Formats: sequence, structure tokens, C-alpha cells
Amino acid sequence: MQQSLIQALGIINCTILKRLKDKNFEIVHCSDDWFYSLAPEAVGKKQFEFGDSSVYLTDFFLDAEDFWQIGNDGQIQSGVWTEQSQDKLLRLEAIAAVSKGECYLVINNLEVEYAKQQKTLQVARELLISNDKILAQHEYIHERLDEVLKQNLDLISLQEPLKKIVESANFGILICDAQLQPESQNPNAYSLFEINPKSTESSPVGVVLDLMQKQVAEFERVLQTGSRWHGELFWHKPPFTSKWLQLALYPVKDENGNTQHWVFIFSDISKIKYLLQRNEKLSLYDNVTDLPNRQFFWQELENSIETDAPFFVLYIDVKHFKRINELYGHLAGDHLLVNLAERLLPLLNKEDICARIGGNEFGILLRNQKSQQHCIDFARRMIEAVEKPFYNDLKQKIQIGINIGAAHYPADASDSEELMKFADLAMFAAKTSSKSTLKFYSKELKDASQKRLELEASLRYAIEKEQFELFLQPMLDLNTGEIVKAEALIRWRLDNDVLVSPDEFIPLAEQTGLIVPIGKWVLSKAGKMLKLLLQHKSNLKISVNLSPRQIADRHLFEFIQSVIEHCGIPAKNLELELTEGVLIDNFEKVQMLLQEFRKLGITISIDDFGTGYSSLAYLQKLPIDHLKIDRSFVHELDVNESNKAIVLAVIAMAHSLKLGVIAEGVETSEQHQFLVSNHCDTAQGFLFSKPVPFDDFCQQLIKETKAKN
Amino acid sequence: MIQKKICLLGASGVGKTSLVKQYVEGIFSEKYLTTIGVKIDKKQVDLGVEQVQLMLWDIEGIDRYCGFQPKYLRGASAYIIVTDQTRSQSLVEGMEIHRMAREVSDVPSLLVINKCDLEVAWHWTEGELNGYSKEFVGCFTTSAKTGEQVDDLFKCLAQISLK
Repeated sequence: MQQSLIQALGIINCTILKRLKDKNFEIVHCSDDWFYSLAPEAVGKKQFEFGDSSVYLTDFFLDAEDFWQIGNDGQIQSGVWTEQSQDKLLRLEAIAAVSKGECYLVINNLEVEYAKQQKTLQVARELLISNDKILAQHEYIHERLDEVLKQNLDLISLQEPLKKIVESANFGILICDAQLQPESQNPNAYSLFEINPKSTESSPVGVVLDLMQKQVAEFERVLQTGSRWHGELFWHKPPFTSKWLQLALYPVKDENGNTQHWVFIFSDISKIKYLLQRNEKLSLYDNVTDLPNRQFFWQELENSIETDAPFFVLYIDVKHFKRINELYGHLAGDHLLVNLAERLLPLLNKEDICARIGGNEFGILLRNQKSQQHCIDFARRMIEAVEKPFYNDLKQKIQIGINIGAAHYPADASDSEELMKFADLAMFAAKTSSKSTLKFYSKELKDASQKRLELEASLRYAIEKEQFELFLQPMLDLNTGEIVKAEALIRWRLDNDVLVSPDEFIPLAEQTGLIVPIGKWVLSKAGKMLKLLLQHKSNLKISVNLSPRQIADRHLFEFIQSVIEHCGIPAKNLELELTEGVLIDNFEKVQMLLQEFRKLGITISIDDFGTGYSSLAYLQKLPIDHLKIDRSFVHELDVNESNKAIVLAVIAMAHSLKLGVIAEGVETSEQHQFLVSNHCDTAQGFLFSKPVPFDDFCQQLIKETKAKN
Repeated sequence: MIQKKICLLGASGVGKTSLVKQYVEGIFSEKYLTTIGVKIDKKQVDLGVEQVQLMLWDIEGIDRYCGFQPKYLRGASAYIIVTDQTRSQSLVEGMEIHRMAREVSDVPSLLVINKCDLEVAWHWTEGELNGYSKEFVGCFTTSAKTGEQVDDLFKCLAQISLK
């Protein structure tokens, strides 16, 4: 290339060398003297042999030589390095290139680009470090406070070292009771808001609650559902003071899942914001995923409303993201978010917007859309894309799901706040499904959500007031006709004596985690009943259902062990019932847990068998004792040939695996006869007895004994 | 004289450049200036029986803006993982970098807990730190600002690089 041409083209400050042979080059272009500090041997020469003045370049030659030897057209780069010349630092990058059979070495002086890049990276990294520190501090203080507050429901006994941390923390810490009345506000919280601690007019809690009510669309839902929230707030005190705050809000719950305290932890991030403002990309984009951030999303939402064209706001939440972070680490969590964003973007039209609006939350604006069907199709594509497995650096497979809530402009709301609030509410409703689901906002959904909240509050009240009763449904040995077991079934009796069916409240209890205290109550009560029943019949068993959430509770085994000891009952008289879904969801954990139960002598039956995966593979690997054929198969046994075939297959399979078979929902003598003829071991159903209170069940046992004698 | 390549690895902002600057030039600057790419400095170490020329590869902090580049470890005789005791995350990231480095290199390595002139603000317990240190030939608690343990660190690096 002609030197004049290179100059005319304004090609950057570089040196171009043509390779003659190993380390021997001819200078094609040399724009400045800096090159000679890398190759002093080239001074005054057209051709020269490279020495070892630059360690980095010498190292690069190893790759470059290989590349030149292969001889295919193309280039490889060395990466940026810094070289000390006599009086200044050189920022360089080398390129080994092959063009039409000729080999070249280009060395670029990147002084200007380096300075630009450093400026951006400097801001980004300072931000990253400050953010890191704030998050780590918040997380640490939260964990410690959570631990202490759970043990000590009042703050008087706050441990001394923790008290010191709270008081001297350089961020605000507020502790409120369940009704958001302040219990503790640390000195920094006062100074952050420039409030005199003696002031009776305002308090840090008052300011924070006011800011959240005005700036956080999800606030009401967060409070009502006892959820966590973290994000940014802007505080302005006229005339001149304003601050950006990063705030984390955590509920502290007691063992019954009731919120006892709310902890607010917040830091002044105005400095970070200032740094961000120096760079528009950083201020409006999320630095993990490179997607627009919450601020940008709100701006776009406002803009969309102004254009008055119909659109959907989608609020997307990654299911169980906290668990992913805990299991695989935050880096893997970040990596997953990046991959997730990469999968979502290709699904959008160019006028749509996808932003990261929270830790594991994304917002999408589907513009120019009127029809729900379009939104449904879009959500389906999104779910398909997201449900393909992700892999972390260790090639471990990570599978995720998403909850999607959608609100429509202008059908559902015409201002940004309401739209976000409604989309959030719909997303929260979608959470009730264990699978990835889309829910649209509707008036019914709002009412259902309200009803659900009321039911949840009643359920908490029921736990507190012990409004539950435990009924027993006999299970009969089909050979002898004797009662051999009883299934413990919970009932909820309201103040007005109305009984609420478990179908109505168990799913909600499962979803809110209230199933854990309720399940504990059932186990304790069943233990006490069993103790008494064994006096009537020494070989009788009680079987108790366990839900997925109970299985996930790491204190379950200890608790069951303590019930057995406390009630003084033989473990072999206790049976636990699990559904197939529980086994599949977390096979290894369940396998270990069941092995522990087996060691203790507790037997296990698989409930609703036939409705789930019914895989022989897991049946063989798990220490289980019985299969319970689901009532849906028993129900139509008289008329439905395929149900007959299924029941026969289950009995044969169970017996071949040396497992007992229990048929549920037996209502007719024909069903009974079929099961007896086909060697089913045990049965329960209205034909024999509906679930009855404890005393009635005792009567049945007494009657049975009398009849025998 | 024997030349040995030593790589400095770690998250961004932990003080890798400052450690080299303190060691080679005896200078420390409070101002954080992020490194891009690589800068190589040389310093001679007198081990009594032998003189070693250390080639210190100060490598850009590994974070979401810059990934781990295995090629930089080529020909290295040892590496150090630098962490900052005011940031818990720097140790988590440091251990992750160590794991990646282990995949491509089996040279000896040291764990460096830097910024010991500042108050400890991470929440790792003594036990946890001991656990992490076991994955290294040794562990140094340094301050690039005061120079504490900096010479000892590089002397140790020179020694282990010869083994």
C-alpha cells in the first residue's frame, strides 16, 4: 500500500510491516517514532529483524507465526497492551494479517481510543464496585437482622455486635412492625433525610413510605403478599436537596409465615447516579444484560401513552431466581439473565421494548397491539424460548420458568402507574401456576386477588385460633374387610360453623407457604390421635399427606422425628403420602429424605398414582411401600374399559415391585368386587366410610371389634 | 539471568496495578485508574543463590466487561489471585478466576488479600478464609498503599516460580 494513500485515507496511527521470514520484516508504513521503542533495531533500516524489546509482542509472535504459516487470508489480534517508551506509555494492539498470500504485522497505536474506552470503563467499573459494596452490605445486614428478629420478636434483645452495626452503619436501617409502625430507625437514616432525631413532625419511616407509595407501582402488592422488593427511589427536599436511594425491603416472617417485621435498608447512591449521568448508555441501560433499565422503560411507557396507540405492557418474573443464585452463585445468575435477554430480543418487533426492570424482572412493551391473541402468541414464543435449558460455566443444566402478567392500554388503564400496577398484579396471579403462564389483567383478577388476600388473612387467623379439625377416613384390607389404616384429612371450621373444603384452601396454603405450619399441625394432631387409636387397635396406621412445600422444608425430618418421640408412637404406624409430582421435581433430595424415613420405620405411599409420570424408573429407585390408584380410574371402573386396564396394570406392576396397592374413591359394590377379584390390597371410599371426626372413627373401630367377637 | 513470567489476576479494582507499582516503583496513588489489556513490568529479585528477573503481567480485572483470557497464562511460572478485603464479592470472583485458571494451568499460585491498610469490610470468617487459602501454595495479606508484605509476596513468587 502506498504511504501517501495510507495518509490520504487518514488511517490511524499505525505501523505496517511486511513479513519476509521468521521475525524479519520490511517497513511498509511507519507513522511515528514510537514504533522504534518497540524495535530499536529498525532505526534507519527498511528491513530488519525483530529483537525481544517488547515481551508482549514476543509472546504474540508465537500465535502470529502459527497463523502466518497456515497462510489463509484473515487476521488475528493480540489484544491491547501497554508499553513503556522513554517518556510515555504506549497503548498498542498488534494484528497479524494474511492478504493474497502476503503476511503482514500491523501495530496500532490506540492512544485516543484507549483514553475513550478507559473513560467509559472507569465509570462502569467504579459503578460496579460501589454497587457491589452496597449490595453486599445490604444482604449481610439483612441476613443478620432476619436471623435475630426471627428469634427475638422484640428489639430489646438485639445482640450487642449487631446493634453496633445498625447504629454505626453508613446506610439507613429501619425496622417496623407488621403494621409499618417504626420500631427502630438508625442514626444514618435520620441524617440521610436531614431529619432531627428529636423531631416529631417527620421520621425516616414516614419519608420512605411516602416515597414508595408514590414511586413504586408494586408497593401495595409487595405489602399485601409479604414479598421482598429492591430498587431505586428519588428523594427531593425543596428547594435544593435531592438524593437517589437504593432501597431493599424485606419482610421478616415467623415460623407460621406471618410477617412480624419489615426491614428497610437503604443507601445514598447519588454519587453513582452522578457517575451514570456522565454516560448516557450507563444511565439508561442495565449493565448486566445491556437491556434498557427501569428508568428507560418508564420513559418509553409514558411516550407510548402519549402516542395513544394501543399496546400491551408485559411484566415478566423469572421463577425461583433466588434459588438459582443460591445454588449456582450470583455470576451464574447474571450469566443466565444475559442469556435470557438474548433469547427474548429476537422475538420482538423493532418498535417493541424489552427492559430489565428489577432483579429478576423484565418489562416488555408490545406496541401497536390490540388483540389478546397476538399477546398470547408472543407469550407462547417467549415461554418456548425461555424453557430451553441454560448451561452455566460448569456445563450444569439450569431450567427456568417465567410468570407473565399483561395489561392493555387503553383497555385496562390509561396511565403508566396503573398499567404497571395491573401488569404486576397479573404477573403475581400467574405465579400460582407451577408452569410458565401468561395472565391478563382483568377486573375479575383484581377481585380474585382481593378475595385471595382475604382468604389468606383468614387462613392465618385459622392457624392462630386453631380452627382446623382432623378427620379420618378408614382404609380397609380387601382380604379381611378390616380397617387397617386411616387417612388423616384436614377440615377448616369457620366461626359460623361452616366447613371449608381443603380443595379451597390447601392450594393457597401451599402457594403462600402457610402449608408448612398447617402441615406441622396435621402431623402433631395425627400423632396424638394415633397414640389413642393404638389402644383400640395396635396395628393400625395413620397416613398423612405431604405437599411439595413441606418436602422442601429442611426441618421436616427433624419435626416428624420429634412428633414420634413426643407422642410416643411407633414409627412403623405412621405412613406418609406423596404425589408423583413431588418425586419428579426434586428426585435426589426426595430420595435421601425417603431413605431417612425408611430407616426410622415410616412407610411411604404414592398418592394419585397414574395421573403423573408413573415411571418405573423412579419407583424402583425409591424406598416406597404402596401405590394409591387415583380415584379418577376407580370412579369409572364399571363402564370404562381403559380404566379397568390401567387399574389392572398398576396392580400387576406394583405387585411385581413388591409394593402394596390402595384404591381410592371406591363408591360402589361393583368397584369393590372388581378390586377384590383382581387382588388389590387395600381400599378407601364412601362405600366404606366418608372421612369422619375422631370420635366417629373410634366408634367404627369399636363396632368392628364387637362384630369380630 | 532466569526470567519468570508471573500473572496478576483478580476482579477489577482490587489493586493489582497498585501492587506492581508499589513493588517496582515504590509509588502508590489513591486514584483508581482501571487497566485495559495488559501491562508488563520487570523487576529483578535477589534470592541469594540466584537472581531472577520477574516479568509481571498485570492483567485487566476480570468482570462483566472483560472475560478471562487463558492465553495470558501461557508460559507463566506462577500466578496470584488478588482480592480486596473491603469487598466480599472480590473473593468469590477471585475463586472463580482461580478455578478457570486451574483448567488451563497447573503452575503454583498465591492468594493475596489486599488493602489491609483499610478496615476489614468483608464478612468472610477466619475459617472460610483458611478454607479458600488451602487451594493455594500460600496466602499474603498486603497493602499496596503502605507496602506491607508486598516485597515478601513477590520474593515468595520468585521462589515458587523456580520450583
